[in-house]
Amino acid sequence: MNRSKDIIRHIKSLVPKDKQVRIMNVCGSHEHTIAFSGMRSLMPENLEIIPGPGCPVCVCPESDIINAIELSKRDDVILVTYGDMLRVPSVKGSIRADGKNYKMISSPFEAIEIAKDNPDKRIVFFSIGFETTTAPTAAIIEMGVPENLSILSSHRLTPTIMEILVKDTELGIDGFIAPGHVSAIVGANAWNVFSEKYRIPTVVAGFEAENLLLGIAEILKQLKEGKPATGNVYAGVVKAEGNVQAQKIMDKFFEVADVNWRGIGNIPGSGLELRVEYSKKDTKKVFGLAEVKESKIPGCICGNIILGKAYPNACKLFKKVCTPRTPKGPCMVSMEGSCNIWFKAG
Amino acid sequence: MVAVSTVTPLEQDVLLNMNKIEIGHGSGGKLTRDLIENIFLKYLKSDELKPLEDAASINLDHNHKAAVTTDSYVIRPLFFPGGNIGKLSVCGTVNDLVVSGAVPKYLTVGFIIEEGFLMKDLEEIVRSISETAESAGVKIVTGDTKVVEKNKGDGIYINTTGIGEIVKPMDLKNVSAGDKVIITGTIGDHGTAVAIAREEFNIDAAVESDCAALNGMLEPLFDIAGVKWMRDPTRGGVATVLVELSEATGLGVLISEEDMPVREDVRFIQDMLGYDPLYLANEGKAIIITSAESSDRVLEMLKGHPLGKDAALIGNITADFKGLRLKTIIGGERVLDMLEEDTLPRIC
Ligand code: SF4
Repeated sequence: MNRSKDIIRHIKSLVPKDKQVRIMNVCGSHEHTIAFSGMRSLMPENLEIIPGPGCPVCVCPESDIINAIELSKRDDVILVTYGDMLRVPSVKGSIRADGKNYKMISSPFEAIEIAKDNPDKRIVFFSIGFETTTAPTAAIIEMGVPENLSILSSHRLTPTIMEILVKDTELGIDGFIAPGHVSAIVGANAWNVFSEKYRIPTVVAGFEAENLLLGIAEILKQLKEGKPATGNVYAGVVKAEGNVQAQKIMDKFFEVADVNWRGIGNIPGSGLELRVEYSKKDTKKVFGLAEVKESKIPGCICGNIILGKAYPNACKLFKKVCTPRTPKGPCMVSMEGSCNIWFKAG
Repeated sequence: MVAVSTVTPLEQDVLLNMNKIEIGHGSGGKLTRDLIENIFLKYLKSDELKPLEDAASINLDHNHKAAVTTDSYVIRPLFFPGGNIGKLSVCGTVNDLVVSGAVPKYLTVGFIIEEGFLMKDLEEIVRSISETAESAGVKIVTGDTKVVEKNKGDGIYINTTGIGEIVKPMDLKNVSAGDKVIITGTIGDHGTAVAIAREEFNIDAAVESDCAALNGMLEPLFDIAGVKWMRDPTRGGVATVLVELSEATGLGVLISEEDMPVREDVRFIQDMLGYDPLYLANEGKAIIITSAESSDRVLEMLKGHPLGKDAALIGNITADFKGLRLKTIIGGERVLDMLEEDTLPRIC
């Protein structure tokens, strides 16, 4: 407790008196710790901690969800995906409410088991997430997946979206808290571009409140000294070069693609699709899926929340109509979604 | 005339009488309370029912008051580390009596059993009921058995009703600013044990339910004048009980995350599942509100009992604000509310 208090005192001494400082986190688990520890209530008034794009479930395009629902209605298909994806709303409902043959998994390895147990079915693994979940999906392909399993890839890249945000002068980001788990895969060096090209301090942090406070202090120190760099206060877990083996297999099976982000639109080079050599494993090709045009959710401002342009309580539906029990937008569904976190943290 | 265009879909549901019972209506949280207020209290209005305490107080004659409580157990799975539905059905009801200031005396047990239920499982459950009742010093005095067709039940449901003699009337009206909040041990054990026992989570860990009858530990506290109110935080956990306390008294409750006893493994698992131990069910813990002067004595007596060795002072009653607030480990503050729905249904 005392150490946290010391760091907070230190943070207060580092914050400039005369200007607003905006630090963004890009990880749902970071936002969770920040909200649940009441961290914002302890920060100086001119220091803002903004939740950014930390929720892969939230940005998964409606098109992929609708395609997943439709696939699950086929008698020859079992759709498997992570729990949160089952509840994400779309104009055609959610997989859980409106799909038919689906199973929840918590690891890609379970998809293989399900494929083996159901040799007469076609298993579609709806694989979503940032680098953290891409790596295990690549790992199962590397191990060799059964013939009857294909992958509906909806993977997104963290550095690309961060670069979009950093260029947004209106947003005016002064520093990034880089995501701990993603960094473990891509390596701390992956963030060098932010300090080198944009002069934005970027510090890798873990998930304990105290560690996050340390990360914030490090960003403020760099700002004060005018020496932006890639910092790492989570060095026990995150290496400069990351998990090279994981990077290799991700690169072997996936290629960078221009993809849609829900509520935001197309972002060049921000997603991963299976390489053409692996088309036989690519659900979109195997089933000839077409892109479905996204429909707007009336009142939902998820897109702006993900981009750090609004806080959840700026949404008129927040807590009133939109709750974890009756989510209107994707940000209220996942435990990593800012609306869900803010709802629960009170 | 109602201008139909202004009716929200939610209101429309109500207007059309389309609301249905959801699993969350049994959670002990906000939905349960809505149900109680909108349906039950609309028709059931006795003075004894109104306080909505864990047990009702009824007058036998001028000198004697009895506490009566009833509870149904629909837990899944029926057997879990640290207990089973039989043990739970005795402990839960005994605890509801003792936190109401009563010495538990008699229980009734009703079974609703599904056709095809294994006789050996039933025997195991009944043996647990007998052992638990005996060690808690209560007598099972009558019972009932019904069997429903296969697939019309879920193995077995148990209802127990308990009767006790009130020796220390507990009244929320006595709670005042400056009082202390004590918990008799680690929180969230039962909820976690049951979550693990459900295979859907795929977790390997050895957390036992805290399921225990608390009368042996709590009855001696009846002699301490400063002890004002008790409640066993089952469904909805510690947070729900304290939010209710705040609403009923108009006072605020400030609890400390740092002082909250939580087992390491429970904290780890709940972090992983994304649940907050403050909202998880306990089946062998009590929250005690005591005057500041008596709090040391209460803690000392609790710690002298095997079930109370982890007892801790976790917070204060205050007039500075209303509602429940948590002081976090790093010194931040946040508001805790009732959960809308239970994260883990059918926990007891
Ligand atoms: S509160 Fe609901 S509707 Fe509003 S932005 Fe969040 S998810 Fe969308």
